[in-house]
Amino acid sequence: MRTKLISLLLSMVMLLSLCATAAYAEAQPVTITYACWDSNQAALLQTVADEFHAANPNITIDIQVNGWSDYWTALEAAATGGSLPDTFWMHSNNIYYYGANNQLMDLSDYIAKSDLVDLNNFPEGLNAIYNIDGKQYAVPKDYDTIALWYNKTLFDAAGINYPDDTWTWDDLRAAAKALTKADGSQYGFCAGLHNQEGYYNFVYQNGGQIITADKKSGYDQDATIAGVKEYFSYVWEGLSPAIYDDKARGEAIQNGLCAMGLFGSWNLSGFAANDFMKANFDCAVLPAGPDGIRSSIFNGLGNAISATCAHPDEAWMWVEYLSTEAGQKRQAELGIAISAFNGTADAWTAAYTGFNVKCYIDMVAYAQIRPYSNQTSIWEDKAYELLKGAYAGTDDLTAACTNVASMMNEALMAE
Amino acid sequence: MRLNLGAASAARERVSAAKRNEWYWAWGMIAPTIIGLVVLNIVPIFQTMYMSFFKSGAFGKGNTFIGLENYRRLLADAQVLYATRNTLIYMVCVVLITTVLALLLAVALGGRIKGKGTYRTIYFIPMVATPAAVTLIWRWLYNYRFGLLNHMLSSLGITPVDWIDNPNAAMLSIAMVGIWSTVGYSMVLLIAGLQEIPRDYYEAAQIDGAKPVRQFLHITLPLVSPTLFFVLVTSVIAAMQVFDIVYMMIGVTSPSYDATVSLVYLFYNNSFKYSNKGYGSAIIMILLAMILLITAVQQRLQKKWVNYM
Amino acid sequence: MRQKESQRHRIRSLHIPMHAVLVAISVVMVFPFVWMLLTSLKTVTESTRMNPFSFFPQVSQWVNYATVWQQNNFFQLYLNTFAMVILRVVCALLFSAMAAYAFARLHFPGKGFFFGLVLVQMMVPTQVFVIPQYLMIDGMGLRNTVFALVFPGLVSAFGTFLLRQFFMGLPRELEESARLDGCNIGQTFVRVMLPLTHSGLTALAVFTALFAFKDLMWPLVVNTNTDAATLSSALSKIGSSYSVNYPNLMAASVLAVVPMLLLYMVFQRQFIEGIATSGGKL
Repeated sequence: MRTKLISLLLSMVMLLSLCATAAYAEAQPVTITYACWDSNQAALLQTVADEFHAANPNITIDIQVNGWSDYWTALEAAATGGSLPDTFWMHSNNIYYYGANNQLMDLSDYIAKSDLVDLNNFPEGLNAIYNIDGKQYAVPKDYDTIALWYNKTLFDAAGINYPDDTWTWDDLRAAAKALTKADGSQYGFCAGLHNQEGYYNFVYQNGGQIITADKKSGYDQDATIAGVKEYFSYVWEGLSPAIYDDKARGEAIQNGLCAMGLFGSWNLSGFAANDFMKANFDCAVLPAGPDGIRSSIFNGLGNAISATCAHPDEAWMWVEYLSTEAGQKRQAELGIAISAFNGTADAWTAAYTGFNVKCYIDMVAYAQIRPYSNQTSIWEDKAYELLKGAYAGTDDLTAACTNVASMMNEALMAE
Repeated sequence: MRLNLGAASAARERVSAAKRNEWYWAWGMIAPTIIGLVVLNIVPIFQTMYMSFFKSGAFGKGNTFIGLENYRRLLADAQVLYATRNTLIYMVCVVLITTVLALLLAVALGGRIKGKGTYRTIYFIPMVATPAAVTLIWRWLYNYRFGLLNHMLSSLGITPVDWIDNPNAAMLSIAMVGIWSTVGYSMVLLIAGLQEIPRDYYEAAQIDGAKPVRQFLHITLPLVSPTLFFVLVTSVIAAMQVFDIVYMMIGVTSPSYDATVSLVYLFYNNSFKYSNKGYGSAIIMILLAMILLITAVQQRLQKKWVNYM
Repeated sequence: MRQKESQRHRIRSLHIPMHAVLVAISVVMVFPFVWMLLTSLKTVTESTRMNPFSFFPQVSQWVNYATVWQQNNFFQLYLNTFAMVILRVVCALLFSAMAAYAFARLHFPGKGFFFGLVLVQMMVPTQVFVIPQYLMIDGMGLRNTVFALVFPGLVSAFGTFLLRQFFMGLPRELEESARLDGCNIGQTFVRVMLPLTHSGLTALAVFTALFAFKDLMWPLVVNTNTDAATLSSALSKIGSSYSVNYPNLMAASVLAVVPMLLLYMVFQRQFIEGIATSGGKL
């Protein structure tokens, strides 16, 4: 009896001390760094971070922002030195580089144990980007699709109906023709030399591929070449100016040079702050290809945790918070980005009432994941270099695409 | 053990003691700088050289030795050829024009002229502007359809030029930005150099009836030559390393990419974007070799035209 | 008499066309800066509008400056940036002056070799040093400190080269008389030669400050914590979103540039109209 009492007392003491240490450990203030590359989103994420801090007073989130290229340079330096930020954004271009080289924490266990995060709530394509050999290295954060933006004022002036979900390639071409002025002061379409916000969409709308499931280039497929041709032909036929610079495409529509253009959802905060865009523009789903195929390129960022994070549990708490339905809805409400969690995206549309941004969400149903491989940047850049001549009309497109295919296959084999 | 040798050998001993004293002072004075340079810069340069013989793995691990393969690939790579050509053309144009312009400005602003302090400040402003602002402004100036330059050209009846996307014009555009942003540096140094030339020389020349041009050629140039030498050497080195201007204005998609890409730009793409540090390091080695050669030639020629007192 | 008058007349008649040229060049030089100021006062729409283009904002948006100031802790950024600049200048002046004098005036074995090392540092682009120096700082555990910011500028090859040219231009008689008076090398350096390079030192201070200030990539990589960051981080941050807010970016750039400009304005008189000794030259 006595021994029982003693053992009971002892176990109670042990339990209490465990609780005490657990409570003590929890009470220690921890700062979790969160690195990203968009200051607009960062400012809004600060609100989420503050709410998280209110709920977990011992964890403070330090949001660090760097410009796109500086971000990756700094991240690489940090990774080489073993001092990555605790949590940070990941992108399909770099996920393999970091994931396969043990820089990211495998989140599979955390996800399995968590009641609040279930990968089934995210589009499968996004999960797949951040999954390497069965290990999940990042949780999807948001996604973006590409939509067709059109200048309502110019459409009204020419008496053409606005683009809608019945549009096909022919409708697009006809409208572009009608909206192009002979003196070159106005073009119907802005077909800039860009893949994600350009010809990739046309390729997939034509049933072509950029990269096949078994990691081979799709550039030499007839359907692909025809898709690129349809896009480039806008420039060849004078329905679009030849625009090479990324920023110049936005400038073209914002200055009334082009009546239509393809733009991703990440442009929204900028468009919403621009009076000209607010007054004259709206967006619609992309037109369908000749066989009725619809497609829009979609991509999504993920939240990753560093493999060398000193406070993995707290870091996971932050990532988890961002990935729950509530967290994702909150991010959407604030207008940060289109949240990846199924069903929460509608909250995002409420943040941009001036435009028909619902079209971005509608397209997810048939969206195509942005083509990627282990070292995407290498062949993407080279592809641009090989295609510029054809875009300008000086090279033969079929030959150019075949070159791209062989270049890409070489690069893919070297990975 | 001091032996009492003859006066000559004693003198020799005294001389070498003084010399050694000088050596110790000298080594002591250069020590902080040299130690700092070796640790901060020379070691990384050797690391880069070492890296150029490898195919780099991720994050500094798993590098595979491939010997001269990077260099072989480099020699066969057309883009490296373009980059070399572009960098050299840029260097020659910018250094020549900037130095001549800076010298003329320095002479103009060195004499008795009203408002020279204001002018000197204004001409230095481009050096102080941040790259982000500089690129933005010049991109707008060069914009084909809406830019100020083309606006002015068309009002004069000249056809607008595609400053950025036309391969024939692009290098000129980049060079103009380069000249604009560095003429202040050269000018300021040359003014300081000119300041030190005693007025007596000019007055004497004037009394002898020498015209301004002659004074310039026979007094100014020789006496400002040490500064000029410094300006030329540093300008050449800086020009060979051009990166920011090209990187921010001309991307891979532009038709003028091959006509303007510089060696450092290529290095940046390979080392930071494509994660191929081995190849990037090889490119840097080639750049370094070129700069070494050019500087060595300049050092040799120094004896012919630079006058030190 | 007549000769002098006609000469003076000839020189004066050059003044007006010369001023015209100088003013024209001034416009080209300063125009981008003026444009930067004007853009910082525009709205987002006005800043991207090129067609039709307007130089001046409709209503000056001074609020941009307030926004940018609040969103970034500019006070802390200025503090960190100035600490970095001042320390780099001090180090550059101190170490480079010593080394420059030795290279210019003393004879010692290895002189050519060591000077070669100085030149070689200048020949390699700074991007090459970023990761190795980062690893050094990281290894010492000194990230997010002022020391980390100063680290690449602890010694200055450029400064050594510049001051060497200055020293080489000074007359040897001064040194010889100092040595005859019994000064050792150190005393000669400190008491006689150093004061004569007043212009060179000021020039070096200005250029070191300028180059330190323009070193944008290093602070971003090494000092990631917001309270240890420099002005460059604010610029990278604001210029980072998919749709850059140009007026804010220009406002931040102006805020970043103004101190540097003031510094230059104050010092330009110092080193250009520095104490010119008889016969001393660069």
